[in-house]
Amino acid sequence: MSNSRKIYSQVYDKYVKKIYRFVLLKVSSAEIAEDLTSEVFMRGWQSFKANSDKIENLQAFLYQIARNLLADHYRQEVKAQFVSVEYAPPLPDDKQDLEAISFIQSDMERVKAALVNINDDYREVIVWYYLDELKVPEIAKILQKSEPTVRVLIHRALHALKSELK
Amino acid sequence: MKENLLVSQLKSLRELEPSDNWVSFTKERIFAGEPEPMGLRMGLMSFFPVFKYKLALAPIISVLVLIGLFGFTQDTIPGDFLFSVKKMTENAQVTFSSSIEKPKTQLKLANKRLEELSRIAQNNQVGNLDPAIKEFQSNIAQATKDLAAFNINVTSSDPSVIRELLAETQKMMANKEKVESVLGAIIGDTNELDSAILQIEKQTAAYLIADLERRTLAESDLQLLDQAREDFNAGNFATSLEKIWILSNK
Repeated sequence: MSNSRKIYSQVYDKYVKKIYRFVLLKVSSAEIAEDLTSEVFMRGWQSFKANSDKIENLQAFLYQIARNLLADHYRQEVKAQFVSVEYAPPLPDDKQDLEAISFIQSDMERVKAALVNINDDYREVIVWYYLDELKVPEIAKILQKSEPTVRVLIHRALHALKSELK
Repeated sequence: MKENLLVSQLKSLRELEPSDNWVSFTKERIFAGEPEPMGLRMGLMSFFPVFKYKLALAPIISVLVLIGLFGFTQDTIPGDFLFSVKKMTENAQVTFSSSIEKPKTQLKLANKRLEELSRIAQNNQVGNLDPAIKEFQSNIAQATKDLAAFNINVTSSDPSVIRELLAETQKMMANKEKVESVLGAIIGDTNELDSAILQIEKQTAAYLIADLERRTLAESDLQLLDQAREDFNAGNFATSLEKIWILSNK
């Protein structure tokens, strides 16, 4: 047990920032990203200490948990949209809106916003390939697709992002 | 937008990081309730689950004290307060010896007593003299008893042990003479031991002469064997054995 804990502690240190960023670029809320990332590592730890020998690729394993959690999160969000107007957040006033717009003007925020709007598969491969610098075979393993398919996906993803930024 | 520019803007997103506080807090939360990795202290605790850590050290300290005590008692002489501890270790030594090694071990102990007697005489420790002589006599008596119980049916594996036994006996006899000359008194009767040793010498010599007779020997060796046989027939078993050892070692 102590050995598993030591190994998982190292895994956490290595991947926590990557998983956080992966989640954040989908949810666009630091708080939600923190909650979901924390849940990814919680679930990862439960599985790891029970069946560490069955996990072939820890990175792929953690990203897979993150993808599942994000899917669950958005399913719940769709349901939550049918809440009463009493619980809806107040509309932003003009001043706040202007501040938000000026904030989004920065290049980083523009790209971030564009990433949120493109297809999930495209966003994922862009994050993995360009931000996390994963190799094509590693992405292929996570997505359980062939390497040529992943290359095509990266190419299309970049094209989609370009179009979104136009 | 050019692809290079877009890629560099994408890479700037690496700056998106969680706060260090959140990272360490979440890590603590994940492992909360999990047992700490076992260190030396925890290892000892699990080895002695009933006792507390300090109590778990008690047996270790006791063993260390005993080792120190046994070391210290090696310098004691008969009549000293801690000599009984030394004797305990010697008795254990004899108990764990094989039956063929037991007389030799007893004779070694008798030699040790003689060395102690020499020290007692040199330091004029009159109070220790009587207990030391008694211990020596006890060792000789026990060695004689063990020799009597010794299976005299000599086999091919016995001669080397018997040779060591005879060497130890000769050493003991020489030491005894020295101590007796210093003290000016006879410190023990060894007649029974002498006859037991004589019997062993006789049996061993007979076995080895028969063994050598079956071998093909050189002319000079045959002459030495003849001399050994003559000594044997004359009852000089020790002299006969000395010649036989020379032939056996060739």
